[in-house]
Amino acid sequence: MVRAQHWVHVLGTQALLLTLSACTTGSTHDRYFGKVAPPAGQTLRYITGSEPESLDPQIGNGQPEARIYAALYEGLTDYDPKTAEAVPGLAERWEIGEGNTSYVFHLRSSARWSDGRPITAHDFVYTVRRGLTPALASRSAYMAYEIQYAQAYNEGSAFARDPRSGEFVTPPADPSQRVVVPSDPQARAQLTPEVEAQLAGKTLVPVRPEDVGVEALDDHTVRIRTARPVPYLPGLLAHQFFRLVPRHAIEQFGDRWTQPGRLVSSGPFTLADWKPYDRIVVVRNPMYWGTASVRLESITFYAIEELTTMLNLYKAGEVDALSNHSVPIAWFDSISGLADYMNRPEIFTEYYQFNVDRAPMNDRRVRRAFNLAVDKRALARFKRTAQPLTGFVPEGIFPDYPYPKGDDFDVARARALLVDAGYRDAQGAYDPSRFPIADVELTYNTSESNRQVTEFMQAQWRQNLGLTVPLRNMEFRTFLNVRTKREYRGIARAGWIGDYMDPFTFLDLFSTRSGNNGTGWFEPEYVRMLRRANAEPDPAKRYQLLANAEAYLLDAQPVIPLYTASTSWLKKPYVMGMYANPVTIHPWKYVYIEHDPAKWN
Amino acid sequence: MLTFIARRLLATVPMVLIVVSLTWGLIRLAPGNFYTSERALPPAIERNIRAKYGLDRPWHVQYGRMLSNTLRGDFGSSLRYAGEPVNTILAKAVPVSALLGGLAYLLALVVGITAGTLAALRQNSSLDYASMAAALVGISVPNFVLGPTLVLVFALTWFWLPPALWNGFSRNLILPVLTLSAVYMAYIARLTRAGMLEVLRSNYIRTARAKGLDERTVLIRHAMPGGLLPVLSFSGPAVALLLTGTVVVERIFAVPGLGNYFINANLNRDEPLIIGIVAFTSIAVLTLNLLVDVAYALVDPRVRY
Repeated sequence: MVRAQHWVHVLGTQALLLTLSACTTGSTHDRYFGKVAPPAGQTLRYITGSEPESLDPQIGNGQPEARIYAALYEGLTDYDPKTAEAVPGLAERWEIGEGNTSYVFHLRSSARWSDGRPITAHDFVYTVRRGLTPALASRSAYMAYEIQYAQAYNEGSAFARDPRSGEFVTPPADPSQRVVVPSDPQARAQLTPEVEAQLAGKTLVPVRPEDVGVEALDDHTVRIRTARPVPYLPGLLAHQFFRLVPRHAIEQFGDRWTQPGRLVSSGPFTLADWKPYDRIVVVRNPMYWGTASVRLESITFYAIEELTTMLNLYKAGEVDALSNHSVPIAWFDSISGLADYMNRPEIFTEYYQFNVDRAPMNDRRVRRAFNLAVDKRALARFKRTAQPLTGFVPEGIFPDYPYPKGDDFDVARARALLVDAGYRDAQGAYDPSRFPIADVELTYNTSESNRQVTEFMQAQWRQNLGLTVPLRNMEFRTFLNVRTKREYRGIARAGWIGDYMDPFTFLDLFSTRSGNNGTGWFEPEYVRMLRRANAEPDPAKRYQLLANAEAYLLDAQPVIPLYTASTSWLKKPYVMGMYANPVTIHPWKYVYIEHDPAKWN
Repeated sequence: MLTFIARRLLATVPMVLIVVSLTWGLIRLAPGNFYTSERALPPAIERNIRAKYGLDRPWHVQYGRMLSNTLRGDFGSSLRYAGEPVNTILAKAVPVSALLGGLAYLLALVVGITAGTLAALRQNSSLDYASMAAALVGISVPNFVLGPTLVLVFALTWFWLPPALWNGFSRNLILPVLTLSAVYMAYIARLTRAGMLEVLRSNYIRTARAKGLDERTVLIRHAMPGGLLPVLSFSGPAVALLLTGTVVVERIFAVPGLGNYFINANLNRDEPLIIGIVAFTSIAVLTLNLLVDVAYALVDPRVRY
């Protein structure tokens, strides 16, 4: 999930506003933050964060949107309200076969669109094909790339076919697959000579939507085939990209199908009103298959980004719950002890990454020394809502995953490693002046909280290694450019929010050379380890294999894992069925307003 | 006069085109794209996006399209808010900002002119000192301090008024209008006082009094039109800025106006929306300046076009 919060510091006054408002928080000594008076009836008022890009779940890819989509659209699977793991949604059950590459989902026969039409397997097939259509240009399309030929279709690639026999060219290693010829001339130029030879005299046939590995076996059964083993597929299908969109409304209204009055929903709620930068109102969908158990009559989503405004509205009792990260650090002490404060580790890792192609960070000993010299427990205490990490997969998210431990805080070892790397004087003692500090800087995107962490890290390295790493901040989009192209020197800030509930969503970052791996570290052995793990049918053994791969990654140290963030939000005690889960996307059908104070939590 | 207005209106067109061209160039210079996010996109997806929005065309084609869009008054669709026409966004956001800004300016005019006039009439009295001290505070305290302070008192301590949110013409407007108008109120009070002081000492006021006119008529019929000229010239750009949205107040009070769109459009590199808002703002500024110049001619007999 992309971090959609653009922290806008209006004229740099955030701190001032927080201080001003913080004065008020100390004056209330209740169990709760501000007014506690439930709204009449079953209406929830929720602040979801920034204005949604679109109400089309295959277009908007942020978290604020995902929370609204969770009300309007349902996928074959859904999130568990407490753990966020995959639970049955429109599909009531599924079977996994053929070495984790074939998945059969059985849809509920009672599933209906909000206009009363039945939801069938064909609707899911349409949804996936539509999401992958190059002309739609969905940014989330990569979510489906594990499905057979999905990437090829989305990229506009082609198969090669023998014009006489009509047979498709297949790779010699695996005759069940077809060779995919990229449409991009650059990518095509990189084909191996063997493949080029295979292609001689063949006609290129564009990959069609029908070639994508999703098919309706009958009206209520879908089969998904994946190119490689993807044991986390059911969890992936809860993502907004796979939530069912209405073919008939889209074909009738084109791009503007998401307007109130036109939008046909597959989820427990349907759209009643949408005022941009103000509110989106959804009401209970009487056609939803589980509507009898949906208790909320309506939800009002407010699009507000300013944290102070959010907390003011919450305190005044104008809204009932807030999105994650809505409690600023300055307020933490006065709010964290209250009964309506919600918190738990998030599916997120904050880390610093090394540009391993450039000296001195091309030396693993130097990278390890920089990791060992940081007291992450102190950092987490300083951050308040964070938990320190030594490994890359955030702890406390995946209950059965055997988290491997990375190096702990150890200044002596850090210095010894730097001595070993050659930064020593004539007597062989550690000499910081020999370290080429001019070749290192810490680059980060401008934000108050990032600045605090970088200053903390700078102080740690200065105290423990005698090295003062210069800090360099940039505007967010500029920074992303620099980081992706690896134009930074030494170290850059990074954070990753998992896309789905599986450790692989973190470990996969380093399985390609480019893309989100901005370190330059790439090891075929690591990729093989991940592949072996995913082919393992036994979940416990698979987790162990993934943990081995993570240990391998930590050993190479292309990154300094720092901490996992906490979700940190507020919910009035009368809002029931809403839990602190690792993704802060709430299946709204479980939520309701409890008017009896005796039953509040 | 009519020739003057026609000439000025004609000059608006090239000026708006220059402004949007400069803006367009600045957007190009800013790194990143509307689709850039924490996650690097696979190259094929980026290619699909660039093709969908015509970003793969040569720059002069894109520039030409932007210019012709601007001339036709149709700015195309927002990039960030997929498929939403910029004109629809403007049509929704402008009335909101205009209502908030209009009320704020109206309040500022009423309070500011009254206070300024009273201060000028009783120069160096305690009333004069008090109102000018208040005006100094109004000018010095920025709205991002005033707004939260008002919220603190009226919304979070006494729970009298809602701390934010928009409900059209409702009591939700009270705090943002007060916050927004304070600084204008203060400026207008000072401008009125200075203007009135100068006019009240002028010969034609002495003549009016000598003719035996009562003080009321002297003040309202003769002194005010001249004394308020500084307020009039201040009003053009001030009203234009107020009507086209105020970022800080709109964010603090969660007002769905143009200011919110403008700041996010810039952060999101949403080119059509930025161009649309900039074009709208420049037209508003140019039109209001023209209105002020016309009003000058009507009020001040010395001004002729």
